[in-house]
Amino acid sequence: MSLIRALGKDLEARSNDSLRALFAARPDLISPPVPDFAALAARASSRVSVQRALERLNRPQMQVLETLHLCTNTDTGHSASAEGLHQLIRGASLAVIEQIMGTLQELALAHPAVPPHGTPPPADGQHFYLPVGSLKDVVGIYPAGLGRSYTELVRLQPAFAQRVVQLVSELHRSGFAIHDATTPMEAALALQHWTSSPEALRDILAKAPERTTALLAKFRNWAMGAVPQAQRKASVTTEGADVGPVDWLLARGLLVPLDAAHVELPHSVGLALRDGAIINDFTLSPPVPELGRTTSALRRNAALSAISETLRLVSELLHAVKETPLATLRSGGVGVREMRRLSDQLRIDQDAAGRLLELCGLAGLIRLDVDSSSWVQPPQLEWLFLPRQEQWLWLVNAWLASERVPSMVGQPVNTVPGGPSRGASGTTIAALSAGAQRPDAPVVRKRILEILHDLTLEAEGPDGAVPVLDAAAVLERAEWSQPRMARRFSSLIRGVLAEAELLGLVGSGALSQLGSAFAEDNPDAALAILGEHLPAALNHVLLQADLTAVAPGYLAPALTEQLLVMADAEGQGPATIYRFSAASIKRALDQGYDAAGLLAFLREHSATAVPQPLEYLVEDTASRHGSLRVGQASSFIQSDDEAALRELLAGPKAAQLGLARLSPTVLTSSAPPRELAAALRNLGLSPSVDGAEPAGHLRRPATAQESPRPVYTAPGIAPPAEEVEAQLDVLRQAGPAVGHHSGADGEAATQLGLEALQRAIRLKQRINMNVVDNLGNASLEVVVPLSVSGGRVRVFDPAKDTERVLSVHRIIDIEAAEELRQ
Amino acid sequence: MTDGPLIVQSDKTILLEVDHELATEARHAIAPFAELERAPEHMHSYRLTPLGLWNARAAGLDAEKVLDALLKYSRFPVPHSLLIDVEETMSRYGRLRLEKDPRHGLVMRTDDYPVLEEVIRAKKIAPLLGPRIDGETVVVHASQRGQLKQLLLKIGWPAEDLAGYVDGTPHLISLNEDGWELRPYQRLASENFWAGGSGVVVLPCGAGKTLVGAAAMATGSTTTLILVTNTVAARQWKDELLRRTSLTEEEVGEYSGALKEVRPVTIATYQVLTTKRGGIYPHLELVDGHDWGLIIYDEVHLLPAPIFRMTADLQARRRLGLTATLVREDGREGEVFSLIGPKRYDAPWKDIESQGYIAPADCVEVRVDLPKDERVAYAMADDADKYRLCATSESKTQVVEQLVARHAGEQLLVIGQYIDQLDDLGERLQAPVIKGDTSVKLRQKLFDAFRAGELQTLVVSKVANFSIDLPEASVAIQVSGSFGSRQEEAQRLGRLLRPKKDGRAARFYSLVARDTLDQDFAAKRQRFLAEQGYAYRIMDAKDVHAAE
Repeated sequence: MSLIRALGKDLEARSNDSLRALFAARPDLISPPVPDFAALAARASSRVSVQRALERLNRPQMQVLETLHLCTNTDTGHSASAEGLHQLIRGASLAVIEQIMGTLQELALAHPAVPPHGTPPPADGQHFYLPVGSLKDVVGIYPAGLGRSYTELVRLQPAFAQRVVQLVSELHRSGFAIHDATTPMEAALALQHWTSSPEALRDILAKAPERTTALLAKFRNWAMGAVPQAQRKASVTTEGADVGPVDWLLARGLLVPLDAAHVELPHSVGLALRDGAIINDFTLSPPVPELGRTTSALRRNAALSAISETLRLVSELLHAVKETPLATLRSGGVGVREMRRLSDQLRIDQDAAGRLLELCGLAGLIRLDVDSSSWVQPPQLEWLFLPRQEQWLWLVNAWLASERVPSMVGQPVNTVPGGPSRGASGTTIAALSAGAQRPDAPVVRKRILEILHDLTLEAEGPDGAVPVLDAAAVLERAEWSQPRMARRFSSLIRGVLAEAELLGLVGSGALSQLGSAFAEDNPDAALAILGEHLPAALNHVLLQADLTAVAPGYLAPALTEQLLVMADAEGQGPATIYRFSAASIKRALDQGYDAAGLLAFLREHSATAVPQPLEYLVEDTASRHGSLRVGQASSFIQSDDEAALRELLAGPKAAQLGLARLSPTVLTSSAPPRELAAALRNLGLSPSVDGAEPAGHLRRPATAQESPRPVYTAPGIAPPAEEVEAQLDVLRQAGPAVGHHSGADGEAATQLGLEALQRAIRLKQRINMNVVDNLGNASLEVVVPLSVSGGRVRVFDPAKDTERVLSVHRIIDIEAAEELRQ
Repeated sequence: MTDGPLIVQSDKTILLEVDHELATEARHAIAPFAELERAPEHMHSYRLTPLGLWNARAAGLDAEKVLDALLKYSRFPVPHSLLIDVEETMSRYGRLRLEKDPRHGLVMRTDDYPVLEEVIRAKKIAPLLGPRIDGETVVVHASQRGQLKQLLLKIGWPAEDLAGYVDGTPHLISLNEDGWELRPYQRLASENFWAGGSGVVVLPCGAGKTLVGAAAMATGSTTTLILVTNTVAARQWKDELLRRTSLTEEEVGEYSGALKEVRPVTIATYQVLTTKRGGIYPHLELVDGHDWGLIIYDEVHLLPAPIFRMTADLQARRRLGLTATLVREDGREGEVFSLIGPKRYDAPWKDIESQGYIAPADCVEVRVDLPKDERVAYAMADDADKYRLCATSESKTQVVEQLVARHAGEQLLVIGQYIDQLDDLGERLQAPVIKGDTSVKLRQKLFDAFRAGELQTLVVSKVANFSIDLPEASVAIQVSGSFGSRQEEAQRLGRLLRPKKDGRAARFYSLVARDTLDQDFAAKRQRFLAEQGYAYRIMDAKDVHAAE
């Protein structure tokens, strides 16, 4: 029977509570809702959904599932019982395995099945199981880290198939207890038999050169390994007394070359090395990493200093972007030149500037203006006016929810692991470009926080000592708690930790109280803690005779903004030094301040008297400012007749035309030249008009865009209860749809069809396929499918004796042409 | 969080709020490892440098104490990266030790084998080392001790020098404390120096550095070589020593261009030591040919390069550096520290002023407008001539006359860079001019007359920058400075800071031509003064009359 149908039946037989638990654990099963159990089973069997489900399993669960996969055959329906698994998993009690099998069944990753042929009828309480059909596609080619069998290797590795017969006969001739073989398949079986038991392998390895055991130990957890010149000629007949371990193993077929640089340890050898067990390192308790220690005082110090520093730098960055928007590259992202400008302005290095810019981007504090394709600060940015702890919360929420990874900025682009990066120049990921996008980032971040939290709780000392958690410790725990997910962790974890440190979630290498609060989904607690520790904004500076103003702490944003107009910021840290110079004072004068205004401002906000040199600087600069004046006028009137101009200015028309006198012989007007000329003509004058009227510039008003506060919801949480209930109602009302072919809807039918197709490929069976041609006509064909990939299926047509490629979506339905072996 | 007086910045500076009640306590806590960089009136700023941290280690301070001090007095959380950096930097000191080995002589030892491996592979260091004795020890050529220490410092593995000092030929010296006594800070400085073995004492001008030297000589009671900047300074040292110590005329020798006496206490000028004849320094023998127990470097920030090289070979002798400013325009402060030794004492200028040991100073910058013709000339001049043109403006001379008239009756110095300008001023003020070609004898005579009050106005060139003791000078007018030299400014101001009998404040005028290079350079010097904590104001030349 089809596995999907079997799973459907199992699901239908479950209680509603059991289904609720399933939906909570695998929310993707009912999003969008499914019409009946067949569709539910089909979705639960789909590759993507299984993949997601496996990511949530911990190592013992994964080990049991992989063992189940290895000792069952879903094509033939060969099932396995908990007892059977117990034999193959060392270190686990039967009860534990039964319990884990129960969980896996609950998760719809395995379902009950009939016992295989020839086994005695099951005792009471003994269950047989089959894994979900697509598990073999998802679990990878080395389940439990074991290699493929010799027969499979012969089938898939033509180079090995060519060589294996000679290898076996050489072994046979050299007096090893192995059967001679004439075909590759026979040779594979002979090797399999030769290495089948731990005792046999021990005998073979007894004569191995030194270091062989050490070499084989490297294959303990993973069947594939890299060796130089894997395809070298190694033979038992020619080897000398000083043979190396790799040659020795290759000559006996105990390692099988895959390509020029890689070898594989075949299944039977791996199994024998594990003393006949598939899993020999089963443990229910997670590994406890060795952790360093720091004090909670240091941790708090580090976290708080990081937070105030980050908030300060973000404000500075926003100020810088407001002054000069950041231009983007044609290929997206902010280029090196712009980054250099920014980092100079912020007085930090470019990597740090890149991270900061990303943080602002993901928090929506800057946005891409499509008209100018540059990053600008949105108008009326709410963030700027929030209290500091809420600014921080905004950033953290945005960071947790974001698919962007700030720490990837500056990393090399497209590095193939182990290979050189593309391009000799070593192209790196630009800030705010698509390269720093990682869709799984929110999940990984949340998970890392949780692991940090768990480890901290486990290792917290009573004396205020807290554990220092490094990437290795987190990774080790992740490998245990979610081995399938851990691979994604490994590339992100260092970045995530660095970013968490930037935001004060991690301090001095330890998870801060703020981080703990977020791991527990309790941001309010974090906000309360932070509110207590962040000092209030200052409203004064200290003015000194060396022409500086020192802000001894966090300064009110409005004050900072004004100071930045009249002075240049210096230094890096909680206090900022503003240095006044003739240039900076000029800048302030340009922006409309005058000497009196500047000094009044300084007096108002200085805790100390304004030093004389500063006063002198302001007044001296102001007195010589404005020798060139710029103003706005639409037109001018020039005449050598001063009296006429005076008369014009005094006349009633003057106000209407917006006339002003610049010099005895020049007037300006706010009216455009033509209008002005017309008005003058009406007065009986005869003006000449210089040049044409310039085209008016149309400026599109900036549309105020919302910059909503980011709200973070933890990823992967259970679907809402009402959705679950509605789904249960639908399922229960749909009735027993499973078993009726016609009852299966589109999704289930597709999955069933694909399942049949893949099974036929594995078993090399003929199938009847109903296929639609270019013109929409359906035709029935009998073919042998060979492979499916990329939405296309390659088939062999026995009638025409040719191979063809069909699109999968053209197939209406599939039926096995011959009765499948059950 | 405490409400401490320190703000620790992530750029490795530390701000100290001076008016805070814990300020003094915090300053004492951080002074051993942080260098005072700027000391304006409200917020002093200190800097953490590897050198400073290593010096602190050398003085027996460990990283934990440094971190404690920072965390204890900091107002805000201390940047974590800085804490880590401090810890790492300090842990580098002392991994290598220079020791005396009874069999092999001078050796370098380590407990950290990889460090030694790294160091002996450094290209510049390898030639200084002898054979390897074992994994952790290597022989060092005794003559290369200083050079090695310097290079090790440069590559970031400073060595702890445990090889000790030679005692030199004993020679009894004691202080004659009749009618005067060593000031507390002078005593402390001398004690700190002797406890550390070698090092630099930083005291403001006028605070009596000579006496620190004398006290150190008395403690050591050994033959002493004193290196000074010029002959006049040498004479002053000699007079001071004769007056303040048990030394007699016969025991103190002068080794200069004119005289070549070698006595138990010998005062030599940098110039004579660095005279080169036929590619060699004939007088350097004075230094290594005798068994000195102590070498004193006056105005250590002026040490010329050959003396640096020579000092590198003198690591077995005790070395005392004296200076008012550790700023070197060539940025070689690090070499001073590595060759002479770490800073052993540093008194904030304000402290000493408040105790009445030096006179308070009032600095005034007078902005002078160039007349129109000079402005045109300035605008059209080559870059090379611009500074001279604006610095020697005719309009300055008039202001000098007004100022001299206003301070009639006070002891007044006019200081300048350009000889023509000084000659002109001398003529108009009817005052003698002391410049490079004035003979030592005449200089002495003029200085003596000035000290005695017989002469009230003196026009001097840069020859008078250093070490000339003119206690009664209370007004100085600087007409032109040597570009933006900060230490020159400090030295010139220093001439005025010897305490006055009537407790008057000293007045330092600096004349600056507006809108010219002169003003740019002046701004640089002024900033330095303000950062040193000297109060200063700016006034326009036209207000000179009106003021006061």
